[in-house]
Amino acid sequence: MLEVQGLRKVYSTGGREVEALRDLTFTIDNGDLVCLVGPSGCGKTTLLRCIAGLLTQTSGTVKLDGHEVSGPPPGLAMVFQEYGRSLFPWMTVRDNVSLPLKQKRVPRQRRDELVDQALEAVGLAGTESAHPWQLSGGMQQRVAIARAVAYEPSTLLMDEPFAAVDAQTRADLEDLVRALWQRLKVTVLFITHDIDEAVYLGRRVIMLSSSPTVVQDEITVDLPAERDQLHTRADPRFTELRTHVYEQIQAAKRGRPASIG
Amino acid sequence: MKRFLYVAGLPILLFFGWFVLSNGSENFYAPPLRDILRAFVDTWTPQRLNDDVLPSLLRLLSGYVLAAALGIAVGVAIGLNRRLRATVEPVLEFFRAIPPPVLVPVIMLFAGIGNGMKVIVIVFGCVWPILLNTVEGVRAVDSVQLDTAKAYGVRGFARIRTVILRSASPQIAAGLRQALSIAIILMVISEMFAASNGLGFTIVQFQRSFAIPEMWSGIILLGLLGFALSLLFRLAESWALRWYHGLRDAQRKS
Repeated sequence: MLEVQGLRKVYSTGGREVEALRDLTFTIDNGDLVCLVGPSGCGKTTLLRCIAGLLTQTSGTVKLDGHEVSGPPPGLAMVFQEYGRSLFPWMTVRDNVSLPLKQKRVPRQRRDELVDQALEAVGLAGTESAHPWQLSGGMQQRVAIARAVAYEPSTLLMDEPFAAVDAQTRADLEDLVRALWQRLKVTVLFITHDIDEAVYLGRRVIMLSSSPTVVQDEITVDLPAERDQLHTRADPRFTELRTHVYEQIQAAKRGRPASIG
Repeated sequence: MKRFLYVAGLPILLFFGWFVLSNGSENFYAPPLRDILRAFVDTWTPQRLNDDVLPSLLRLLSGYVLAAALGIAVGVAIGLNRRLRATVEPVLEFFRAIPPPVLVPVIMLFAGIGNGMKVIVIVFGCVWPILLNTVEGVRAVDSVQLDTAKAYGVRGFARIRTVILRSASPQIAAGLRQALSIAIILMVISEMFAASNGLGFTIVQFQRSFAIPEMWSGIILLGLLGFALSLLFRLAESWALRWYHGLRDAQRKS
């Protein structure tokens, strides 16, 4: 369970103070898939870095499975937006995926098993000895996802992971995330600026206001659990939800809550 | 074949040019290349190589390795610590600006005229490009790479070894390459001041005894040695940084 309570982050640079996050409170149950969506520049990445323990918040608390986050928590894996910069180009795909496991002191045999399974799960079996830069962008992001999966996290954070890949690859990767989530029963917090993606992927969608950020609104996506790009996106309910989220984001940009119609 | 001609063409041309033009030279200080070559074969016998060239190379190697270890270790520390950097950077620039040969007499005063002095001179001269390039390389490590390492619990020595040093390695290699040529120069200079063996010492001995063809042959040997070392370095570098060259090629294509 991930609990964010009254989270506030103020950046102070050279005597100037910028309030990025004002007051964020939300809870994510174990095994849920929640999408966070907000207008660009709304502090999504700041929020994620606070949850991941990469950034210290000004006030408020983040709790993962009951423990307060003060540094990178061991049960948490992260997939970054910039796959090209988050994979280490001097390592092969196998070494990239197994490095975090080595740090966790997973025995060698188990490590190899986990790496093989993870690469298999993201459809990259056979690329172990390649270097990341020999792969396409979509494949690189799959390696990053495999690294997160092999880490066996209880919670998976994804920071706009598909913002830099083309539309078709993106659809494939979205389905991959749904499939992995269903299979591995991890908690997923997925950050995006794409409203369709948020509704298509999430079981819940949390909408953020523009900076300084508060929670603008929250919906439960009552679409069937089995989703696919063709039918789910054509579902009238999908369109309704999407419209609702869109209105809220537009309202957030103008800086006031929308009247819900 | 064509590539070979491109690479070897100019050296061959220069060699024959020198050979033909100097043939019949009466100038005592610029003897015919023929004489120099004959002196080369006579002078650089296995015995001589063992007595003079080997000690030089050993001093070069130990100075270079020490400078590399010192430069990289201190460079990483400075590169990772902003406060330390602000404190020591002006001092480093000052030390770097001192031409190491002027320190030879001073170093001789406390380190004597043995191998220690020569190694210290080499270390003092070639530590700077390594150190400063390491600092730059460590500072330039990608923030997303650092975040990734942190998020996945890669910290402490593993962080330095598997992330920071590897990421900075292209820049460190650039520093090592500069340092290598400096090290060769300082090896010779330190031997010219005070020594009882070594390449620099031998060449100076030939000069003083007016053994001019032998002196030229020593200079040629020095050139060949520098060439061979830089070739070795290039080979080692392209092997160690093959990921970097591959990455650069991939980025250029896209």
